[in-house]
Amino acid sequence: MTTATTPTYRRPRGRSYASTTARWGFLMVAPLVIGFTVFFLIALAASFVLSFTQWTLPATPSWIGTRNYQEIWGDAAFRTALRNTFAIAVPLIIIRLILALLLAVALNSKIRFRGFYRLIFFLPVLTMPVAIGRIWQWLFDPGFGPINAGLGRLGLPQPEWLLYPGTATVAVVIVLLWSSVGYDMIIYLSGLQGIPKDLYDAASVDGANGWRRFRDVTVPLLSPTIFFLSVIGIIGALQVFDLVYVMTRVETTNRLPTAVYYIYDTGFADRQMGYATALAWVLLAIILVFTLIQFALQRRWVNYA
Amino acid sequence: MTATTSRRQKPLRHYVGRVALHGALLSLGFIFMLPFLWSISTALKPFTELFTPNPKFLPGNVTLDNYRTVLEQSDFGRYYVNSIVVTVARTVGQVAIAAVAAFAFSNLRFPGRNVIFFVLLAGLMVPDQVLIVPRFIIMRELGWFNTYQGLIVPLIFSSFGAFMLRQYFLGISRDFQEAATIEGANPFQVFWQIYLPLARPALAAFGFLAFLASWNEFLWGLTVTNSADMRVIPVGLALLQGQYFTNNAVLLAAANLATIPLFLAFLFFQKHLIEGITLGGVK
Repeated sequence: MTTATTPTYRRPRGRSYASTTARWGFLMVAPLVIGFTVFFLIALAASFVLSFTQWTLPATPSWIGTRNYQEIWGDAAFRTALRNTFAIAVPLIIIRLILALLLAVALNSKIRFRGFYRLIFFLPVLTMPVAIGRIWQWLFDPGFGPINAGLGRLGLPQPEWLLYPGTATVAVVIVLLWSSVGYDMIIYLSGLQGIPKDLYDAASVDGANGWRRFRDVTVPLLSPTIFFLSVIGIIGALQVFDLVYVMTRVETTNRLPTAVYYIYDTGFADRQMGYATALAWVLLAIILVFTLIQFALQRRWVNYA
Repeated sequence: MTATTSRRQKPLRHYVGRVALHGALLSLGFIFMLPFLWSISTALKPFTELFTPNPKFLPGNVTLDNYRTVLEQSDFGRYYVNSIVVTVARTVGQVAIAAVAAFAFSNLRFPGRNVIFFVLLAGLMVPDQVLIVPRFIIMRELGWFNTYQGLIVPLIFSSFGAFMLRQYFLGISRDFQEAATIEGANPFQVFWQIYLPLARPALAAFGFLAFLASWNEFLWGLTVTNSADMRVIPVGLALLQGQYFTNNAVLLAAANLATIPLFLAFLFFQKHLIEGITLGGVK
C-alpha cells in the first residue's frame, strides 16, 4: 500500500509536457479535494472550535473554554450511554468474530450449495438498519411477537425485551450479530483463499487432525484478517445509532441510549450544539484509544508473513 | 445409509460429517432467514390476525391491504421517490468524482500528490457524528435545509472510493497509456477511453457499495430534513411509528418495500459486489 508510483507521462518532450500533466492532475482531483475541504476539513475545524462554546440554537455561540469538557466528566447520562454502548460492543465483537470464522471455514470447504449458504448469511448485511429495527421490534414484541410466543410454549419467562436496558442489550446484540456476521464471513473467506493448500497437506502428513489444523494453520495465518475485523468491528460497534433509534425508543425517551444516540439527542433535540460537538470529540478520543490499544497488542498475536 | 455401511470407515465418517454440517448450516440458515420470512408473511396478514399471543407463521387470509395503506395513506410513496432521486444522484456523483481523482492519484504526477492522498485517507478515520453539527450549519447558511442538494451534495465526496479505484487503476498495465500518449491523447482522454472501460468491474463494485450505503443512510437524512416532503425511506420508516403504531403489519409492509429493491440489485451484481467488498476490506 505504498503511495509512491512510477511517474508516467514523461515522454522526452521537455518540461512543458510534465507541467501539462501536473495541470491535468490538479484538475482531476479538484472536485474531490474541494468537496473534502468544505465538508470535511472546514467542518472538522469548526467542530473543534464549537466544542469550546456554549451554543443553544437559535442564539449565537459564546466561548466558554473547556467548560463543556469538564461538564462531560460529571455527566451521568453520558456515562450511562457509554456503558450501554460497551455492553453492546464487547459481547457483539467476540461472538461475531468467532461465529463468522466458523461459518467461513465451513463454507470454504468444497461443500454442496455453498453459494446458497453464503448468500443466506450475507443478505442481512444488505438490509437497511432501520428496516431491520422495525422487523425485529415486532419479533420481540412482548405480547404478540413470535419470540415470546415460542418462549411461552417452552414454559420460559416472556420479558418485555425492549423496555429495560438489560434485556434490550441482549436483543440489540442478537440483532446486530444477525446483521453483521455475514460481512465478517465474506472477509474471512477472502482471507482463507490466501492460505496455501500445501500447508494443510504438510500439517496432515505430520498427523495434525482437523482441530489442530484449524488451531495451528488457519488461525495464525488468518490473524491479520481477524485483527482487521476486530479493529473495524469495534469502531463500528461504538457508533451504533440507527438500530437503537428505532428499536428502543419509546415515545420520545430511549430505553437504551447509546453514545451516538445521546450526542444526536443533545445536539438536535435539546439544541445544545456546542456541548454535542464536545461529546462527539470525547467519543472520537475513546474510539481512538481503543484502536491504538489494539494496534499496540497486535504484535503479541498477529502473524504477518 | 445401508449403501454406506458396507464401505470402509473413512467414507462413512465423511458422509456423517457432511450430513451434520449441512444440518447445522441449514438450521442456522433457516434462523437467519426467519426474520425476513416472518416479516413477509406478517405484512400479508389482516389486522385481526396480528394481536394474538400465539401468532401463526402463515396468514389465515392473505391480504394486500397493508401495502395499500402504506402507499396510499402515508407519505411513503413520496419517501420512495426521494430515496431513488437522492441515492441515484449520490451514487453517480461519488463514482464520477472518485474515479477522476483516482486516475490522477494513480497515473498523473503532480506536486503534493502523496500528501493530498494521505490526508484524504486519514479523513476516513473521523466518524460522522463529529462533523454533523458543522455540516448542519453549513446547510442552514446555504439555505439547503430540506432540499435535495442538502441531502445529496455533502455525501458525494468519497475518499474511500478514490482509494479503492486507485488501487484498481494501479493494477492496469501502463502500455496502453504510453501508446495513447504517443498518439497525442491528453490524460483525460486516456482516462475516459482506456482506463474507465477497463475498470468496469471495480466501478460496478464501488457503485453498488455507494448505492447500498446511500439507500440505507439514516443520520444525515434525519438531520438535514424535517418536512415530510423531503424525508427519505429510512427516516420516514423510523418516524412512521407515530401515525401507525397501532398496525405493525403496515410498518412491516413498509420495511419490506424498503429492502426488496436492494436484494434484487444484489442478486444482479452479486459477483462484483463480493469482489468489491473484499477489495476494500483486505490489504
